[in-house]
Amino acid sequence: MTIIVEKKFAVEIVYNGVTKSLQVEPEEQVTALLQKAIAAFGITQQPHLLSLFRQDGSVVPENASVERAGLKPGEILLLRPNAVKGGRGLLRLARDMVQATFRTLRECGRGECECAVYWTGPAGEDLVDGFEHPIHKRSPFDYEVDDDWLTEFWKRLAASKRSVKVQVHTHPGAAFHSSSDDMWPIVSQPDFVSIVIPDFAIGEPTLDRAWVGRLHADGKWRCLGSAGEALVLA
Amino acid sequence: MTALEELNRTILLCRDYVADALSDEEICQGFQSRKVLCVSDLRNLSSHSGQTALVTLVSLLSRMGMQVGLSIPEVALLSPQPPLLGQSICESLIASSQTLVTGATVRRASGFNPEMIFVLGDTEIASSHAISWRLCGSDWHGALSMEKTAGTKRWVAEWPVGSMVSAALAANEAFKFVMRCLPLRDQGAQVFFEPSRSCDWNFGSVSLPQWDIDLGQVDLISAGAISQATLYAVMRFPRIQMRGRIFDDDLTGASNLNRNMLSVVTDVGTPKVQVVARCCGTKLQIDPVPNRFIRSSFEVRELARRVLVGVDDIQSRWEVQRHAPGWVAVSGTSHFSVSSSAHSPGEPCSGCLHPVDDPAGANPIPTVSFVSFWAGLAMAVRLLREALVSPYSTDRQHLWLTPLRMDQPRAAIWLPVAPRRDCPVHCMASRLL
Repeated sequence: MTIIVEKKFAVEIVYNGVTKSLQVEPEEQVTALLQKAIAAFGITQQPHLLSLFRQDGSVVPENASVERAGLKPGEILLLRPNAVKGGRGLLRLARDMVQATFRTLRECGRGECECAVYWTGPAGEDLVDGFEHPIHKRSPFDYEVDDDWLTEFWKRLAASKRSVKVQVHTHPGAAFHSSSDDMWPIVSQPDFVSIVIPDFAIGEPTLDRAWVGRLHADGKWRCLGSAGEALVLA
Repeated sequence: MTALEELNRTILLCRDYVADALSDEEICQGFQSRKVLCVSDLRNLSSHSGQTALVTLVSLLSRMGMQVGLSIPEVALLSPQPPLLGQSICESLIASSQTLVTGATVRRASGFNPEMIFVLGDTEIASSHAISWRLCGSDWHGALSMEKTAGTKRWVAEWPVGSMVSAALAANEAFKFVMRCLPLRDQGAQVFFEPSRSCDWNFGSVSLPQWDIDLGQVDLISAGAISQATLYAVMRFPRIQMRGRIFDDDLTGASNLNRNMLSVVTDVGTPKVQVVARCCGTKLQIDPVPNRFIRSSFEVRELARRVLVGVDDIQSRWEVQRHAPGWVAVSGTSHFSVSSSAHSPGEPCSGCLHPVDDPAGANPIPTVSFVSFWAGLAMAVRLLREALVSPYSTDRQHLWLTPLRMDQPRAAIWLPVAPRRDCPVHCMASRLL
């Protein structure tokens, strides 16, 4: 005789104040449950931002099965937006980074030439705790990073499991992103941050007057309202 | 300016569910063509709570573009009801006609043929074919009911929180009435717009002192809909004092009128902070600061010990939380839902609750009067409770409320805020994990 154990159970999904009961199986992925919930409520507006939340306020992990996520029969789950999907956080900037950057840019540029540094940090983290001053040619109107240095730099980053978080360079006058700045950032991935400091960085060591922008997935740079929209002091 | 521009965000919210073939003009007309009668007798309008219920309801209906008829006696206002002007309630409400949203009239009800009727408290009314509800409640509890029951009492409360709740519940029923008249994309969505026979909400009573209540120094980040709804509520609290600043660099736009409770049509083009400061008068001493509160990442203005955040932008919420020396309350809306939370030092912060920027949260944001109002009202109550050292318990740190079906048991859910390891603010609670 074969005994069939019914493993299915129901969870209660709440959306817009209305509750619907959905059947789930322990091995079913939470993602599948989420999609069922979205379909059950006929949600068409930004469904990709929705997640399931427990009554303790925690989000149900979507990369787990129903069983591993610990969902229980009759559990009440709130379906609501969770901007954690696809969003981005702020880079945490180590203390003195701005001061040290200005010092380097001034010493190299001497108030008459452009200069650049790259802010770096542990790969996969949002911490910025180091910077590199590249070997470069310089003029009052541009700078050109040495190819060999760049190759070695990438090797060093890979070996030390670090990455470039932000590029910083100076302009002779106003801070803005030129067309060549747009075209040739050191990193061309979405969310990469670029900072342009005016007046060869001879002013106050602050990012108040800097141009700060972020590279978007469409390949366009968006100027941010302030450095605070990309960075925070660690 | 046209009602179409002013109701743009409400129309956008309706588009969550109305059939795609419907034009903006048709949706707009769906609101503007609705006639709503508000009825009260003298006794129910002889209290501050009764007056506040009526004024708030008419404002919320007008900000949806509806036509309001009044069947009420002439009664002197017991307290100012900004942004309305005038000495008596009827005069003030009629003077507000077409000042909140273009074409949204408020007039005496003679010859009025309403489709909906809202009745204050135990006011007697003649039978009608129109669908009707009664607004009842007490200091902190508001209710709406189609039937007059033994629990239907006259408005006598001194504190107007319950009355504002009942007005918001009523405005929601008016909105759903309109939605039921419009073709929906998916018939399954009808469940969200079914009428409530009865519903209520209780913010919970607070033990109040006999003397004046000083909310202290309070900073408000944003002078938009939620901050305006908060101040609208706070300025109606009896015996209240507050000082503070309000930060916003934005001008009042036509599309703000559908929800900015302190703004009128003639305010379009005026800085929002100026509009707010003017309405607050002397009772709430709010200094308008026509700038964003953060000038740069490394030069942040010093914030007050209590901060109210009504700004939509998630990153700004984090920035405020990082620099706030004390208590922070955050309210926001997402389509038909309201999120309201409070964060004392050491508790999981607003970064834990709203952990990452919303890339799809670009303007324009869909909104409607009563949803934004709920968000502001919830924040006003939190502020009062904080000032009275009677905050909600940690299992009520977050309120998720969807006012569409307040007759449903889970329309509003109190939640704790779970600390997150990846909290973008790196708050104390997240670092202890």
